[in-house]
Amino acid sequence: MAEISTIARPYAVAIFNLAKEEKSLSDWSAMLALMSSIVENKDIKLFIQDSKVLDVDREKVLLDICGNQINNSGKNLIKLLVEYKRLLILSEITLVFESLKADDEGAMEAQIIMAEKPDEKMVENLINSLEKRFDKKIEGKVVIDKSIVGGTKIIVGDSVIDASVREQLDNLAYTLKA
Amino acid sequence: MQLSTSEISELIKTRIKDFSTSSESRTQGTVVSVTDGIVRIHGLSNVMSGEMIEFPGNTFGLALNLERDSVGAVVLGDYEHITEGDICKCTGKILEVPVGPELIGRVVDALGMPIDGKGPIKNKLSDKLEKVAPGVIDRQSVSQPVQTGLKSVDSMVPIGRGQRELIIGDRQTGKTAVAVDTIINQKGQDMKCVYVAIGQKASTIMNVVRKLEENGAMEYTTVVSAAASDSAALQFLAPYAGCTMGEYFRDRGEDALIIYDDLTKQAIAYRQISLLLRRPPGREAYPGDVFYIHSRLLERAARVNVDYVEKFTKGKVKGKTGSLTALPVIETAAGDVSAFVPTNVISITDGQIFLESDLFNAGIRPAINAGISVSRVGGAAQTKVIKKLGGGVRLALAQYRELAAFAQFASDLDEATRKQLDRGQMFTELMKQPQYAPLTVSNMAVTLLAANNGYLDDVPTEKVLSFESALHGFMASKYKSIMDDIEKTLALEEEGEKKLVKAIEDFKATNTF
Repeated sequence: MAEISTIARPYAVAIFNLAKEEKSLSDWSAMLALMSSIVENKDIKLFIQDSKVLDVDREKVLLDICGNQINNSGKNLIKLLVEYKRLLILSEITLVFESLKADDEGAMEAQIIMAEKPDEKMVENLINSLEKRFDKKIEGKVVIDKSIVGGTKIIVGDSVIDASVREQLDNLAYTLKA
Repeated sequence: MQLSTSEISELIKTRIKDFSTSSESRTQGTVVSVTDGIVRIHGLSNVMSGEMIEFPGNTFGLALNLERDSVGAVVLGDYEHITEGDICKCTGKILEVPVGPELIGRVVDALGMPIDGKGPIKNKLSDKLEKVAPGVIDRQSVSQPVQTGLKSVDSMVPIGRGQRELIIGDRQTGKTAVAVDTIINQKGQDMKCVYVAIGQKASTIMNVVRKLEENGAMEYTTVVSAAASDSAALQFLAPYAGCTMGEYFRDRGEDALIIYDDLTKQAIAYRQISLLLRRPPGREAYPGDVFYIHSRLLERAARVNVDYVEKFTKGKVKGKTGSLTALPVIETAAGDVSAFVPTNVISITDGQIFLESDLFNAGIRPAINAGISVSRVGGAAQTKVIKKLGGGVRLALAQYRELAAFAQFASDLDEATRKQLDRGQMFTELMKQPQYAPLTVSNMAVTLLAANNGYLDDVPTEKVLSFESALHGFMASKYKSIMDDIEKTLALEEEGEKKLVKAIEDFKATNTF
């Protein structure tokens, strides 16, 4: 069995390439967000999974809900997903699409976790040095978390820079136990 | 767990000293699924194959599958507390185990943690589990013997230091007994031993350890245990861990012996891991690289030359060669040596000792089949005296096998044939040896000389073994100097042989067997 993201990737890449050609990245972003929120709805999910429902009806209902908020290409995407029975991976497609889009724009989100509220200057410095390190535009988001005791923990994508007191204490505890 | 107060303060001191400077940069991932010790992880974009991954609760895993969207890792130890959504992180480290003389006399698990209740191991060094074997330039040919103390092995399938000799046979044919006897006989031979128990019952492992202790063999032996109840990952890793511990001695110009008991179980554990990791199954459902897991392990058993040792120790040890001798054990099902894993290991090793159920049940123990047991390199390493005297055994047994079918027509056979049959029977009887009773080279030489020169031909078959033990007793009390000479030189000149023949004649004259 393949991973869901492996199945979703070709769709996301296709949409991304199309959107880039048509210069409609933000339109697609909005459309995908709408579609995945519809598919995530509990009742709609049941309706999609219902084996008694015909594909034609499934398509019609979804297109009706979306109404004129999606363009022709968006409508075609829904038709395609209905045909391949992949409607339920729409949210995964959206996720992969968004990460492709962020990559393209060269922006990354950084979670800056601190025990106390830092001053603006410090955050700015941090973001500057992160931008240098990752060679990308960084959108900083400060999170206050008392549990790290002190210091900073920064999460960018799946890399973590951990200079928190909690981490040091955990390491110390492990060294003593070993 | 004991920890002295000074150690704690020291530790805290160093940790606090480093405290302000250390920040950790790593990649992390999220656990997607946990199935039978196999964890699938999203993220971990920088993970290396074979890297250790840290899970919550100080549990570690090993990254084995690096796929496009996920990482497949095997958990080392308990995995019940790991749940979907847990954060895990890369450590940037390859799996290591403690090595060094501190491990001698200890029983450890596959990760080198002590499990014998004798307190922590104060090892100074640790080393990587997976290492590349020495290359051709670093090697030297096998030329020194490993004395197993078993008449049948030392005379017919001699093993040299640095050789890989397979012990193969069905269940209950005495495979472990041959291995354990070999360890016991290494006392005073300047040989460190490692016994790796893979997938065995904990009670069996305990018995082996007890027997080694009773015979004083734990003084130079390390036992690595991955019992049947341990996770498949640990059973898979145990041989590599043991090998790393043995290599410590090899690389420092010493001799070591390692026993993998048994590699069939390791292959089965690896098959389980591979199938759970969704690697495609091949013959007998083993993955494609099952040959490689054994070849890369056994290739590490080698004799390395003086230059290698000198280079490795940075000039501290000079003029010494090192060796790691491996005795892998393979269990066959109903004598089927053409199964996948047995053929693989037979082709990798430098010879094999075949043990057969029929012989075992007929009371011939060790149940070695002399016809198909071979040693491809051991001949060059055999002690001179055994080489000189042992040739007759193989020949006599080979002739006996050819004629054995006619044995039932004994009365109709001509004199020469009957004599050969009797001789074959005598040699078969003579090759029997009880467990935990290894023989010294001199005793073996006396036995072989007596048999070769026909002094046993008129002894009834059932009395052959009592003749032998009485002869050994006689020699030890009356002709100790000749025996000591053989032990010292490990050779037998014409002069010495004459003396020995005379001694045997003296013994026969006493008629005390």
